[in-house]
Amino acid sequence: MRLNVNGQEVEAKEGALLLELVDVPTLCHHPHTETHGLCRLCLVEVEGRLVPACATQATEGMVVRTDTETLRSFRKTLLEWLALSTDLSLAPGLEELLLAYGADPGRWGEMPLTRKGRAPIRDNPFFLRDYAKCVNCRRCVDACGDGIMGVYALTLEGRGLLAHPTTPLDRPLPETPCVFCGNCVQVCPTGALRPLSLEV
Amino acid sequence: MDRQSLLPLLDARLPLTEEGVAEAARLAGVPLAQAWGVVRHYPRYRGLPQGRLLVDDPVARARGFARLLREADGTYPPMGLEALSPLFVRIEGKERYVEEGGRLVPFRDFRLPFALGQGERLLPPEPILNLRAYERVGGLQALRGLLGDAFSPHDLIQAVEEAGLLGRGGAAFPTHVKMRAVAQAPSPKYLVVNADESEPGNFKDRFLLEHHPFLVLEGALLAAHAVGAEKVFLYVRDEFAAAIQGLEQAIGELKEAGLLTKPTEVFHSGGLYICGEETALLESMEGKRAEPRLKPPFPVEKGLWGRPTLVQNVETLANLPLILKEGPAAWRLKEPKLFSISGDVARPGLYELPLGTPLGEALERAGGSPKELKAVLLGGAAGVFTRDFAVPLRYRERLPIGAGAIVAFGKEVDLWEVLLGLAHFFQEESCGKCFPCPLGTAIQVEMVKRRERSRALVHDLAQALKGSLCGLGQSAYWAYQSLLEVEDAA
Repeated sequence: MRLNVNGQEVEAKEGALLLELVDVPTLCHHPHTETHGLCRLCLVEVEGRLVPACATQATEGMVVRTDTETLRSFRKTLLEWLALSTDLSLAPGLEELLLAYGADPGRWGEMPLTRKGRAPIRDNPFFLRDYAKCVNCRRCVDACGDGIMGVYALTLEGRGLLAHPTTPLDRPLPETPCVFCGNCVQVCPTGALRPLSLEV
Repeated sequence: MDRQSLLPLLDARLPLTEEGVAEAARLAGVPLAQAWGVVRHYPRYRGLPQGRLLVDDPVARARGFARLLREADGTYPPMGLEALSPLFVRIEGKERYVEEGGRLVPFRDFRLPFALGQGERLLPPEPILNLRAYERVGGLQALRGLLGDAFSPHDLIQAVEEAGLLGRGGAAFPTHVKMRAVAQAPSPKYLVVNADESEPGNFKDRFLLEHHPFLVLEGALLAAHAVGAEKVFLYVRDEFAAAIQGLEQAIGELKEAGLLTKPTEVFHSGGLYICGEETALLESMEGKRAEPRLKPPFPVEKGLWGRPTLVQNVETLANLPLILKEGPAAWRLKEPKLFSISGDVARPGLYELPLGTPLGEALERAGGSPKELKAVLLGGAAGVFTRDFAVPLRYRERLPIGAGAIVAFGKEVDLWEVLLGLAHFFQEESCGKCFPCPLGTAIQVEMVKRRERSRALVHDLAQALKGSLCGLGQSAYWAYQSLLEVEDAA
C-alpha cells in the first residue's frame, strides 16, 4: 500500500497507524495502553481535515500533511499552554519540544487555573503521585484498568482543566485494589508518577 | 438495553454514600473505580450547590451580573430557562425550585410559558397534552399509516430525503443519511432521542417536550420503525422534571391505547452541556463519564453498547409526522424551524419561521428593533455575535444558526460581560478529556477578562481550540472572534 506524506510516496503495511509512518510528537499514546486521540499533538491533515495520527489507519492513496503552518501553530500553542499550567520539569521530551517549536508561554499572560500548586501525595512506600506534573493523559488509568492490568485502582476526578487521576473513593493506594505492579509509573510520560527511590 | 446502566442505579441511591456507590457498581457489573469516576464527574452525584443560585446565562450577564450575584449564594448553569429575564433557582437538599414572580415553583411543576409566536406554522397552536387532543389535530395518522402498510419504512426515509430535513440539534447533518445507515445495519439497534438541550439561549426542545410530548413520541416511533430499532430511549436533561413527567404520562397513554409500538423509556441525562454531544451522551447511557468518543466509528455503526444507533434531536424527530402530514414537497416549501428568541425584544418566546427568514425579520416578529440593538448572539454559546441583520437564518449560510437560539442585546449592554459569561460556561463545561479544550477554555477566560484584542493571540487561540476532540472545544472561541469583528465594524 502506498500513501503520500508531505509530498513523498511512502510504502506501508495494510492497517498501519499513521503515527508509525510520520514523525509527529505525541503525549497520550502508548503502545501498551489504549489511550489515543487525547493530547492532539499528533494531529495531521488528511484531505483538509485534522485527524490524530495515533488513531488513524493509513489507506491506499491517502494524502497526509504533517507540518503545515496551521499544525505548527497548533502544536506551539498547545505546548505553551501545557507549560503555563503544568510543571514539566521532569518531562525532558516536552521541554525539547517547547524549544523546537519556539514556544513562548509568557505571551498568554497569567493562567490562574493551574495544576502547578498541587501537593504530591505520599500514600505508599513505592512511588509518589505528584499531580502538579500531571497532564491528564490517562495512560496510568488505562494501564491499571483495561489496558494492561485489569486491576482498576485508578480512575478520574473532576472535569475540565483540573481533572486528574484519583483512586476509587479517593482512598490511599494501599486501601485500593492496587498491587503495586508499577505499570502506571512505567507509562507516565511526565514524572507525575515516579519511584520514591529516585527521590532524595 | 442488554445491561443495567450505572446512572439510574446511582440516582436510586441519592444522596450517595460510599456503600451506595459500591452497591450500584456491583449491580451494574463495573469496577468501583468506574463508578467513582462517574460520581466525581456529574454534578448531582458530587452534591448539588445549595441555596439561592443565579442562572448564569447571557440575559443575566446583560442585566448587571455582579449586582444580581450579590443577591445569590452562587451560580447555576443555563438550562433553557433564559427566555424572559434573569432567573434564580433555589436548591434545598434534593429539592430544586425555580423562582418565578416571587414564588418558588418545584422543577417538576415548572413549564416554560406557552409563547409560540404567531404566523404561519405547522405546530399545533396550543399545548397538546393528551392522546385524544393529539388525535383531534390529526396526530398518529402517520404512525398508523406506517403500521397499516399505507407506506413502508423505505417510503418514510425517502420522504425525509425529499423533504431535505437537516438535523435540528445544531450540526445540520442530513437526517435521511443517518436513518438509512442504521436501517441497513444489523440488529439489534437502538434509537436515542437527544433531549439534553443545554445550549444557552435555546429552549425549543424543552418547549416541544413540555407542550407537544405526543408529537415527539410519534416522531420517535416513526423513526424507530423506519430503521428497525428494537427500543427507543429519550435522553432528557435531568432538570426538565416537568417534561420528564409529561413524557412518562404520554408513554403510558400510548401504551394503554395499544399504540406504543416499540419499548420506550425515558433516561435521565447526566445534566451537563457535554451530555448533548452524541457520543458523550452514549457514554453516559452506558454508565460512564460523559466524554466524547473518537469518531469514527460513528454511532450509526457503533453506538449504544456498541450497537448501531440512531441519535436524533427532539425537533428533528418532531418534524417526521409533519413531513408525512404535509407531504415532503409542501413541507420543503415551508422549511419550518423553531427559533428561541430572547433578550431585548418585546415578545421573547419560541417562533416557528421558515428557514431563510432574515435575522432582522425574525427579531421584528418578536418585537425587537434591529436599529435599537447593539448585537445579537446567534446560535447560543457555540454561536456568534453579529449585527448582520440581513443574514438569512439558514444552515450553511455565512453565519451558523446552530440549534436556533437568538439572544438580542440593547445598546447599553456591555457585550464583553456577556462574552465573559460564555467563556466561563465553556471553562466549566469542558469535560477535560482532550488537551486543547480544557486548556484553551481556561486561557480564554483570562483573555476575555483583560479584554484582550490582539488579533494574533485570538487567532492562535482559535487555531488551537480547533484541534479539540469534539464540537464543544471546536466552537468555544466563535463568540470571542465574532465580538472583535462586531467591534471592528462598529
